[in-house]
Amino acid sequence: MLLAQQIINGLMLGSVYVMVAVAFTLTIGMLNFLNFTIPALFMVAAMITWAATAAGFHWLVGASLGMVVAIIASLIIERFTYRYMKAKYGDATEHALPLVSSLGFLIIFEHVVIMIWGTDPMSFNSPFANAQFVIAGLIFAIPQLISLALSVALVFALSLLLKKTQLGRALRSIAEKPDTATLMGVDVGRIVPVVFMMTGFLCALAGILFTINYKNVSPYIGDHVATNAIAGMVIGGLGNIWGAIAGGLIIGMVEVLSIHFWGAEIIKVPVWGLMLLILVFRPTGLFGHTRIGKGKF
Amino acid sequence: MLLEIKDIDVRYGRNHAVKTISLNIEQGEIVTVLGANGAGKSSLLKAVQGMVRLSGGNIIFDGEDISRWSAPKRVQNGISLVPEGRQIFVSMSVEDNLLMGAYSRKEGDISAEIEAVFERFPNLKERRHMSAAVLSGGEQQMLAVGRAMLARPKIMMLDEPSLGLSPLLVKQLFELIKELNDNGLSILLVEQNTHMALQYADRGYVLELGDIVASGTPDKLLADEKLTEAYLGGG
Repeated sequence: MLLAQQIINGLMLGSVYVMVAVAFTLTIGMLNFLNFTIPALFMVAAMITWAATAAGFHWLVGASLGMVVAIIASLIIERFTYRYMKAKYGDATEHALPLVSSLGFLIIFEHVVIMIWGTDPMSFNSPFANAQFVIAGLIFAIPQLISLALSVALVFALSLLLKKTQLGRALRSIAEKPDTATLMGVDVGRIVPVVFMMTGFLCALAGILFTINYKNVSPYIGDHVATNAIAGMVIGGLGNIWGAIAGGLIIGMVEVLSIHFWGAEIIKVPVWGLMLLILVFRPTGLFGHTRIGKGKF
Repeated sequence: MLLEIKDIDVRYGRNHAVKTISLNIEQGEIVTVLGANGAGKSSLLKAVQGMVRLSGGNIIFDGEDISRWSAPKRVQNGISLVPEGRQIFVSMSVEDNLLMGAYSRKEGDISAEIEAVFERFPNLKERRHMSAAVLSGGEQQMLAVGRAMLARPKIMMLDEPSLGLSPLLVKQLFELIKELNDNGLSILLVEQNTHMALQYADRGYVLELGDIVASGTPDKLLADEKLTEAYLGGG
């Protein structure tokens, strides 16, 4: 029974990883860019949700503000990492500079937050602390169920968007052949920011749900969640949004079950050990494509 | 005059790919640009499409100076390029490739036009929902032309469309170009298959190392012995 409860908890935790993993996989699949500011976007939305609620505002005010700030921050990052490198060197996807500048943004964002609120973990006074129900002795927290449903629904919606809409086709064309996309009339400079807005949205949503579900924030939560999301993305397959669901949920379960069986000190070892094992035996991940690099939707 | 290229230069760093050349295309013409590898033919087309920046000169299209327009804006206003190597989106279905061709369109019944492309190319129709990666080279070229047609261009530029096709398919391709031209589409054709290109073109230009070294009607170009020997594959 306890094990069944742990599996449920793992899935719920995993649903937050899924959203962040999808954010990573979108920029990798579209732009071949490992966006290191993703943890900061997650953390900023979480901290603002907490700070606004602690200051007496309705939690929705904090969440909306966190969402807006994360999306704007993501657009700023696009402007000064990806687009800047592209304008300067013709192609931002062929070298590590955008990655390094996104790492710079991550550190700056984290330290701005530390300057404002310090490094101590803060507890979030969740309005849904008792929103749960029990089936056959198993506890289901409603906000966590909502996260799980939302993350699956978002991946569904995203895959429909990519497959069926004009915007989706434009995004896929950029992922495969940016020059030919331009020949078709796609304004790459206007479409790429859309990817970054999606990134900001997904990370902020994950950060807000994490805050509500686990009632704890700190300037470093983004690092923990995002590294696990990267492991999940790799396990699912780089650039594959369906793989991100599987990978995110697997990591959530591995993490919770490792704590259950071996304790909290060791959790990083099974998570990253599993990722490395999968990289050795299936370098493309469980659902990945045969090509590593661009154009995999 | 539909397209007037005036003294344009294209440079890639130190490489002067197109050296102050001028050429023009009247409404309804098929104009071919011939020359060896590295003569600057592709750079010329890319400059007209807006894919490379001009370092000098002007491009006038339909009475407007488009030299500073972005490539998407040029597509929207009636310039389409069928790129070298076809550049089909292999991660997409055949139909999605055609829909990409219509990306810049804001009006018109696109689905009817897609059906018209399928009527023209039954092979594509059979595979409309399959990945474009399964198409043969000839089918890919047809898809690339069909995709460009869906942008409803006033001028279609083709970069080495016959490359890698069997003689039968090359013949079909040129017949298709001729048919599109009969329906009013102006054509700017870059080719290494000089024999076929001159057979179908109204006029031709010969490019060498970024310079125009000869121009005129196919008869005139073919009559020039030195030219045929040096550039036109011995006639």
